[in-house]
Amino acid sequence: MNTVRIIRMDAVQSPAHSRMMMRCEAMDRLARNRPQRALRTGRFIVMRSLLCAFVIQAAGPARADDKAATIGATIAVQGASRDRPACAACHGVDGAGQPDVGIPRLAGLHASYIADQLGYFASGKRRNPIMSPYAEALTPDQRRAVADYFAGLPIPAPVDAVSAPPAQLERGRALFQRGDAQTKLIACTQCHGPNGVGVGSFTPRLAGQSGPYIADQLHRWRDGDPRDPRGSYMQAIAARLSSDDIEALAAYAASLDPKPGGSQRSADR
Amino acid sequence: MTTPASIPIAFASLAALSCLAGWTARSPAAHAADASDKAAFVPPPESAIPQGKFGDEVRLGEKIFREPGTHASAYVGNDLRCSNCHLDAGRLAGSAPMWGAYVTYPAYQAKNGHVNSFEERLQGCFRYSMNGKVPPLGDPVLVALESYSFFLAKGLPTDEAPPGRGFPALPKPDTKPDYDRGAQVYADHCAACHGGDGLGQSADGKVVFPPLWGPRSYNWGAGMGSIKNAAEFIHANMPLGMGGSLTPQQAWDVATYVDSQVRPQDPRFTGSVAETRAKFHDNANSMYGQTVNGAVLGDPASTPPAGTVPAAAEQGK
Repeated sequence: MNTVRIIRMDAVQSPAHSRMMMRCEAMDRLARNRPQRALRTGRFIVMRSLLCAFVIQAAGPARADDKAATIGATIAVQGASRDRPACAACHGVDGAGQPDVGIPRLAGLHASYIADQLGYFASGKRRNPIMSPYAEALTPDQRRAVADYFAGLPIPAPVDAVSAPPAQLERGRALFQRGDAQTKLIACTQCHGPNGVGVGSFTPRLAGQSGPYIADQLHRWRDGDPRDPRGSYMQAIAARLSSDDIEALAAYAASLDPKPGGSQRSADR
Repeated sequence: MTTPASIPIAFASLAALSCLAGWTARSPAAHAADASDKAAFVPPPESAIPQGKFGDEVRLGEKIFREPGTHASAYVGNDLRCSNCHLDAGRLAGSAPMWGAYVTYPAYQAKNGHVNSFEERLQGCFRYSMNGKVPPLGDPVLVALESYSFFLAKGLPTDEAPPGRGFPALPKPDTKPDYDRGAQVYADHCAACHGGDGLGQSADGKVVFPPLWGPRSYNWGAGMGSIKNAAEFIHANMPLGMGGSLTPQQAWDVATYVDSQVRPQDPRFTGSVAETRAKFHDNANSMYGQTVNGAVLGDPASTPPAGTVPAAAEQGK
């Protein structure tokens, strides 16, 4: 039940998460009427998390020659201590996250990027009531080890998200690839690279990331939430975005192929 | 700085990249400095690109503009993209948008002493900014780039410098630009993206943050090699998304730092650094031929060659 408790705790803190939670509840209502869509329900998240926990127990510590790698894998799938769920309970054993409810994919992100963010969660420079206690409980070496673990996982096939309307994807693509001459918005690709592949530890890979997560982060940048201290760039960018722009960008980025060198998926021609 | 602030910066507009201080386009009436005050032109959206042969040229032009190393490889000798300086694929006001350049050609250029077509002006970009080879007039690469620029300029009157063209003019620095202060500005505001070594950063084998110096950056003949041009560009556009956040003094200082580094030779090199400086760089905006950190900038012994298009790309063109 941890996942639901955690998400609800955050919902109290953040309007963006409230939106996300409302979306979950809406999907839950939808699923009651349309059982085939139960995979997208909040109820399923609980089941999925319990299942994950079971798998984690069954999997045991990953075999690795390197001690640090073993530590990273252990923290990721078993947790740093008995009283805390493992990272994998929310982010998945495969690091795929839960894109439909805004839990980001970690697999294939840059190791230094993940480690840096854990450091910011721990120090409070990036404010997040879910992540901070987990990050605080880890030493810098442990954060690095767990970051290496997730960074080293293969990027899983993207979850088939609820497809966005074509007009929204088109708007997202225009902003992402070309910026907006009217508002002097810089195109996302100028920093995040062609098709949002991300650059090293500095600009994260956006391609195929959870759409609700990206939207939430853009809202947070725009609202001036405490963030990655290097992110003054993103504050300036997000200030130029309307809420519709944010939704469009998130939908478009989520539709991009996250695999290195992968061709763009249907959203882009 | 020897260039009086009153000289219009129209010349820079053509030119994020390849114009030297000697390039002077006409249409000095409008200062790009006014760009931030007036509503800048908004180029047509991608959806306005027509179907058919002309539309195909426009689309090809944008592809080349974004990834010249892939789509114009026979003529590109470094890791830069057109869109590194002409931001948002040549659309953004204040970063030498292509719509602003397009409407001011043909124009007389002091640099080569005759009236240049737009195509000839584009040739200069490949020769200097891309440290590559010059595509012949009429080459499909130039036709595509011209088509793209024409498309972006749709609706603008010719022979009038529109607001947002070129780079906004920058006040002279309060104190003489300084290399060491520039190094500090660089470390604080630029190195995260361009790297402490200035060599840029790549992702999945593609350069995202361009190298600012070294063998894979622009050569000594490029417009960005002029401290004044670089300072104007930096102040208006850098760091990305935070244009105007540096003070003019910081912009002058960091431009001086960047343009005091080793970069490929000026393709007009006469065989003598002193003579090349006297002919092409005899102004306070160029560090070519000056001694920095004990070495003479442009010295063939320590200067990468000009025009380094890979042989394979040349054969395959």
